[in-house]
Amino acid sequence: MALSRRSFVRAAGIGAAGAFTSSFISARGRENAVWSALDGIVEPLHAAQSEVIIISSNENPMGPGPKVLDAIRAAFGADGSRPGRYSGSQRDLIDALAAKHKVKPENIVLGCGSTQILRSVTHVFTAKDKPLVATIPTYEECADYATLMGNKVVGVSLNSEFQPDLDKFADAARGAGLVFYCNPSNPSSTYVGAKATRDFLAKVNSTSPDTTILVDEAYFEYVTNPDHETFIPLAVQNPRIIVARTFSKAYGMAGLRMGYAVGHPDSIRKLREWDAGTGTSSLNVLAMHAAIAAVEQDDAFIINERARNAAVRDFTMKWFADRGMKPADSQANFMFVNIGRPVGPFRAACAAQGVRVARDFPPFEKTHCRIAFGTMDEMQKAVKVFGDVLARPAAAVA
Amino acid sequence: MLRTRRGFFDALTRERSTATAAWLSARGHEAYVGELQGQQGRSPRPPLPPGVSEIRISSNENPLGPGPKVLEAITREFPEAGRYPFNSTPSDRNLVEALAAHHKVKPENITLGAGSQEILKNSVRAFTSTAHGLVTASPTFENPTSTARRLGHPVKEVPVDSEFRLDLTGMIAAAPGAGLVFFNNPNNPTATVHGAKDVTMFVERVRAAAPDAVILIDEAYHEYVTDPAYATAVPLALATPNVLAVRTFSKAYGMAGIRVGYAVGHADTIRKLARFKMPYNVSGFGVVAAMTALADQAYLAAERKRNADVRAFTMKALTDAGAKPTASEGNFLFVDVQRPARAFRDGCGMQGVMIGRDFPPFEQSHVRISIGTMAEMRRAVDVFRGVLKPTLAAGGR
Repeated sequence: MALSRRSFVRAAGIGAAGAFTSSFISARGRENAVWSALDGIVEPLHAAQSEVIIISSNENPMGPGPKVLDAIRAAFGADGSRPGRYSGSQRDLIDALAAKHKVKPENIVLGCGSTQILRSVTHVFTAKDKPLVATIPTYEECADYATLMGNKVVGVSLNSEFQPDLDKFADAARGAGLVFYCNPSNPSSTYVGAKATRDFLAKVNSTSPDTTILVDEAYFEYVTNPDHETFIPLAVQNPRIIVARTFSKAYGMAGLRMGYAVGHPDSIRKLREWDAGTGTSSLNVLAMHAAIAAVEQDDAFIINERARNAAVRDFTMKWFADRGMKPADSQANFMFVNIGRPVGPFRAACAAQGVRVARDFPPFEKTHCRIAFGTMDEMQKAVKVFGDVLARPAAAVA
Repeated sequence: MLRTRRGFFDALTRERSTATAAWLSARGHEAYVGELQGQQGRSPRPPLPPGVSEIRISSNENPLGPGPKVLEAITREFPEAGRYPFNSTPSDRNLVEALAAHHKVKPENITLGAGSQEILKNSVRAFTSTAHGLVTASPTFENPTSTARRLGHPVKEVPVDSEFRLDLTGMIAAAPGAGLVFFNNPNNPTATVHGAKDVTMFVERVRAAAPDAVILIDEAYHEYVTDPAYATAVPLALATPNVLAVRTFSKAYGMAGIRVGYAVGHADTIRKLARFKMPYNVSGFGVVAAMTALADQAYLAAERKRNADVRAFTMKALTDAGAKPTASEGNFLFVDVQRPARAFRDGCGMQGVMIGRDFPPFEQSHVRISIGTMAEMRRAVDVFRGVLKPTLAAGGR
């Protein structure tokens, strides 16, 4: 161990004043050679990855910001023993979220990322005779889980603008246990406006009153379209509507694993009854503290992140549009673009040049690539790689 | 040592907001259950005298936490906070590889859980059904039992024997037709352990009686066992289909709040279990924390020794006071206090010493007491002596 405890104290002590944290945030590279705990384990891994641009998973490349990182450090406790304790109470985070959304604690259940929420909702609201209905393509967590449970999945295809035909969607929802409504939608990046969504929800409620609708607002904070609102206020009054949120996207906390659902107390109670044991035990204390700090910090954090993303989005989408490749109208931190060739070889060729784009999204794996927005600097480098790969014939790339 | 560590962590936390300070006041799993059931504040207690802090010895945690190397590694990982655990460096895959190297197995022999509780829960989901239920002990760790009940799958609970050890013969007899047999070794809450020969015999006989049943050997307290007859079931799990050995970083590794556990077994058994795994269940910080802890076996050895010393001190003090602890091989004791657990617990709680909840069917006689630091246990046994003194009639109701 090269580093004495005293020098760790000195280095870490600066963190309380914030300077250390800010330098950490700006440091995407791994030059912090002062740290020693994992010498010989992590450093070679870091070195191997240091130049890779990861734009495959719709993450916030800036991370959670200094207030959240300071809260994680504070979660270590006065003598560093706190991570040895079970998370115990979820109440302070639930209270913070309830205050933010102007709802009651019984309207909220936490999950290990919204992943756990999506799985729990699918578990509780689908059955052998109550299928899941979702668009194709969409985020697969609910469909994968329903399939695992042997419950049917009904897909509704998107139109040429990668928008769902909401009338067809509502028709397909008749008799369903659950409708998964991801808005903005992953991987298509498109968004359905507030009024159209409200009408859709009302139609499903009326034509299929026993169907629950999960509105996944994972990318909510990134929407710039003014026709935009959250469906949390509706969900707390309507036992057939549940809203899922996550700290993994605009809040920059994908590594921490924290998400939640907001809904009517009856729906939330069902989710807790199914998964409360894991609902407690799957939640780590660092994420709890981080999420409280994230919720309580100034709105400027999200406003700045939305603006930062919008600028990078506009730059990247224009680059493709200028070259005749039209992306779907992105309202998120990623885009879905027709590159006119199979994605597999394109992805492999980009990866060989240090740019990691997303996996296949059938049935569009022959034409469309999902590309997340990194930092402006990363995207300026990435488009050079895209240009190089796309300049070669598809066959040559393969 | 604690004083020094406290000093430098003070520097880290000085500016933290009141919300976190409130959160930091200890609230156990019981408090959360109480919240769900609308029972907040069910055990009111007068404020403790100034300078006296609450001692939480209710949840079998390592009171020292994960140690400075792990915390340092987490801090160093801050730039990766925005990355999913499969994208971060190190990634969750690297943790699986490190665990495989540690146990000298292949990555396909391991699956991760958000704590071992996810592993237990998913084992019930993967291996039991309405036709093939759960065989477990009573009392034992209740997660498999409650999961099976929630699913409506049958549960057979085999009472522990007169020495509070699992009744292996009784569990073997109950095994035919079972989907899953749960064997907690050492057993929580009774603290007893079975030696390697017993475990091997148990696995052989259960497999003969119930060839399709999966046997889950939960070794959450493995690192705390000092009985030389004990050995891990990991080699058995690797050599035998349908046997899982389950471990956690929540106990001796001091990472209960970080949520990392794993199962080791035959690749086929692991694959069946892993179908139910939550994607990205272990956080990026959990990955780096577990890898760092695994690489620091000296810290673990010191914790094992520390616990054994404090355990011996506490067992002797309780025995001297007339109480009867079982032969503990964990970081907790199961103690006959000859009065209802609630009375004893409330008596201790009034003085700021928080011990475990009721464990039926022994809630009229036994309490579970976790092993804190030596300083905590010195104060705790003073409180125990005071509470044990009065007769049942005077001290109880």
